[in-house]
Amino acid sequence: MLLSPVPATAQGIPQNIPRKELLILENPEGTIKNAGWFNIWAINAGSQSNGLQQAALDTLWYIDPEKGLDGAWDNSLAADKPVYNADFTEMQVKLRRGLFWSDGVEFTSADVKATVDTQIKNPGMRFSAVLANNVASVETPDAETVIFKLKKPNSRFHTNFTVRWGAIWILPKHVFEKVEDPAKFDFNKPISLGAYTLHSFDPDGKWYIWQLRDDWQRTSLGRHGKPGPKYLAYIDPGPPDKRVIAQLNHELDVIHDIAPEGMFTLAKQDKGTRAWFKGFPYGHPDPTLPAVIFNTQNEYLKNRDVRWALALMIDVKAVTMAAYRGAATISAIAVPPTGIHPEAYHKPMEAWLKDFEIDTGKSKIKPYDPTVGKQIADMLRPSMGDQIPSDPAVIANSFGLGWWKPNVAAAGELLTRAGFRKQGNQWLTPDGKPFVVRLMVEGDLRPVMTRAGTMIVQQWKQAGIDARIDVAQGTLLTRRAAGDFDAFIGWSVETWGGHQDLSYFMDSWHSQFVAQPGQPQPLRNWQRWSHPQLDKIIEDIRKIGFDDPKGVELGRDYVKLMTSEMPIIPLMAYNVFTAMDQTYWKGYPTADDPYANPVTNWGNSRYMFVRLKPAN
Amino acid sequence: MSAYPAYLAKRLVQFALVVFIGVNLAFVITHASPIDPVEQSISAVTSFGSTAPEAIAAMRTSLQELYGLTGTLGEQYLTFWSRVLRGDFGPSLSAFPTPVSALIGRALPWTAGLLIVSTMITWVLGNLLGGLAGYYQRNRMLKLMGVVAMGVHPIPYYIVALLLLIVFGFLWPVLPITGGSAMNLQQGWNWPFVSSVLLHSILPALSLILIGLGSWFLGMRSLVSNVVTEDYVVYAEIAGLDSRRVLGSYVMRNALAPQVTGLAMSLGGIFNGAVITEKVFGYPGVGTLLVDAVYAGDYGLVLGVTTVSIIAVSVGVLVIDLLYPLIDPRVELR
Repeated sequence: MLLSPVPATAQGIPQNIPRKELLILENPEGTIKNAGWFNIWAINAGSQSNGLQQAALDTLWYIDPEKGLDGAWDNSLAADKPVYNADFTEMQVKLRRGLFWSDGVEFTSADVKATVDTQIKNPGMRFSAVLANNVASVETPDAETVIFKLKKPNSRFHTNFTVRWGAIWILPKHVFEKVEDPAKFDFNKPISLGAYTLHSFDPDGKWYIWQLRDDWQRTSLGRHGKPGPKYLAYIDPGPPDKRVIAQLNHELDVIHDIAPEGMFTLAKQDKGTRAWFKGFPYGHPDPTLPAVIFNTQNEYLKNRDVRWALALMIDVKAVTMAAYRGAATISAIAVPPTGIHPEAYHKPMEAWLKDFEIDTGKSKIKPYDPTVGKQIADMLRPSMGDQIPSDPAVIANSFGLGWWKPNVAAAGELLTRAGFRKQGNQWLTPDGKPFVVRLMVEGDLRPVMTRAGTMIVQQWKQAGIDARIDVAQGTLLTRRAAGDFDAFIGWSVETWGGHQDLSYFMDSWHSQFVAQPGQPQPLRNWQRWSHPQLDKIIEDIRKIGFDDPKGVELGRDYVKLMTSEMPIIPLMAYNVFTAMDQTYWKGYPTADDPYANPVTNWGNSRYMFVRLKPAN
Repeated sequence: MSAYPAYLAKRLVQFALVVFIGVNLAFVITHASPIDPVEQSISAVTSFGSTAPEAIAAMRTSLQELYGLTGTLGEQYLTFWSRVLRGDFGPSLSAFPTPVSALIGRALPWTAGLLIVSTMITWVLGNLLGGLAGYYQRNRMLKLMGVVAMGVHPIPYYIVALLLLIVFGFLWPVLPITGGSAMNLQQGWNWPFVSSVLLHSILPALSLILIGLGSWFLGMRSLVSNVVTEDYVVYAEIAGLDSRRVLGSYVMRNALAPQVTGLAMSLGGIFNGAVITEKVFGYPGVGTLLVDAVYAGDYGLVLGVTTVSIIAVSVGVLVIDLLYPLIDPRVELR
């Protein structure tokens, strides 16, 4: 009896729920240790990508990394954009009315104030530090108005309440005000402000099921229409091979991410599977920028000539083949080729890049090759056939524009100018030692980037550098913060994607925040790089509004500086191979209809719920 | 047996010493880990958005206080031992503030259920077949089993597990390939849940049995092959005793003693969890808990699992050592 022919795969489908009403999505966090924790405001408390942030929580604004349902910017709990005073020390927000928590209590400005006050009063909570550092007080003159009085000017304070991947979610005052210690409260069962509420979950953390609220119209998502799926199941389907099997058996509708090979298998074997791009390169380009990130506090890597020399030794075509089997969107500039950025930065800067010149001391070269994206497409066409686009615009969108032409001779001239010398095929440092560069990679925790790093090390070795792979595995976060590396593959550039403002990552690059060697480096300046010109750009951005067109001009100044200084070598967008099965549901976001980020752990992915319709 | 009380006292002291050294080693090794749990938590928190550097510095201080990492290593060591003696491993750092004991308590029944059953099946089958193969050395079927056991034994575990996944999960998809039970079932002593648990345990159990069987089989066959040449077995056969009686009372019984020791150690080792099994089959259990804790730098959880494991293995060995002199007269008390 035990061997009765039931369909296999993950754990099958949730029992007692009609499949045609159910959307099954991957929770990339895997199995959740403390499954019964839903207090997202406490640190390390349970899962957040189990549907909690996508389906049940809400906050003031969203910015989609793509085009959005009605523009990338979405006023969610807020009725309009934030309004700052002249010196950015006060932010006023008007809230929507008629929105209700799932227990029937109306959402008001008191919830927003409680979200801030509760966390400031409890230093161990997730956003306590950022709120305590910024907020002097919160005033609520009426139920639909919130006024944040800030301790110092901050033209980007609203971004804390703006979903990119997540944000500061609004907590229910009427629940938390009765709790003795909010940091140790499990919030089980969670009260929802989103369109779904918790139906059931696995105490062992493998699955969570959410059910559409009967009063979904009384949520911020309601104005976009009725969500298609009545139930959402966020599951841990296991490693990539099992995800592929599960989708082939139509028991996992949306895979968050798989290896390129898994994506190719699905595309070949399951005609119902759809990825972001209909054909090659399939993956959704994340608004992050994998790059070779130098530790510019390293004695030799302080020198721009050395960094540029290492860049000119790389053939990015081989790197994309090694990492993604060619399914990558390259970027020569320090902005990911995602969302609005190709229009705001990449295409407008093509002319400048073509003219960009490096003086090696012995010659002047123009390193930019605008045809690299096209070369990658041409290289793949013989084996991939019709899957490779031929329209130049589509090629640029899918594979990127140009990159740096490998030029080992010019690289040698730069190294020579920096005091290095070559002995046989080996580059020696100015003090006569072999030039060792350890390139740290995460290992099998992030295989695509590890493969890219391995290829780059091979290319540097061929050019005479004593390059070595340094596999960090689980120690990467600690070592990255401590600056314990020469270079590593990762990202220090993370953008909104759907909005051109670059302050999201750039502000912490100001020299005031660059840590001394050995001290932990604050977020997103792992290269520990500072430059007076960069400081000036950051300070100018701080003084203008989020939507000020001058922000794009400053962003382009930043790109020029990054290009000439090369503190990181930009490689490509972080492509996420999100596979969507159309057997039960249709209307997924794609490159042809980019209304939302499809990646299942992003808060923005909630927008797909209102566009999904039963396939039959 | 007059020496037994002294032997007992000596073994108990040894037991306490082994546990003390083992737990101390676990403390030293975990605290020498290059992974910083505070940095892990900060990284998780800041992935939400742009957090100002001064806010991160404040958060780092708060977390160090919250996680009890502010004292000296000596103070942390004393706190740790006072907790261990109370059976409390403190809160998990990566699942704060859930107690480590709660996490282990949830994971352990899955691991124990799977491993105890599969270990016992493997041990009984392996020893039985190995004993028969060692005694009836001309039996073709048993010879063939020996060849199969020799062939299967060196295959890496994960290869066998993956083969099972492909065969029963993809080519002939009749068995679930991950998880402990189907989704949306009420956990408890109800048939839908129990039958689902049994169904989900088949592949992980089968993988463990297939790999473990060869080891017990070959070990027992070798032991029996030696025992059958002993004088008392030869005399028993010459005396015309029934071969089944010779096998059961003279051969198997004498050959089994080392295998019983092995069983005790295997059962003690269950508290480590079958790490690869749980990872490959997505089975909820202590092994997965331990691996995740290592990657997260969760000292408390790693120490909790390893301490339980050290005590369990030591208890297993102690029990066998204490029972041996009582059941096997050949064991000399010193």
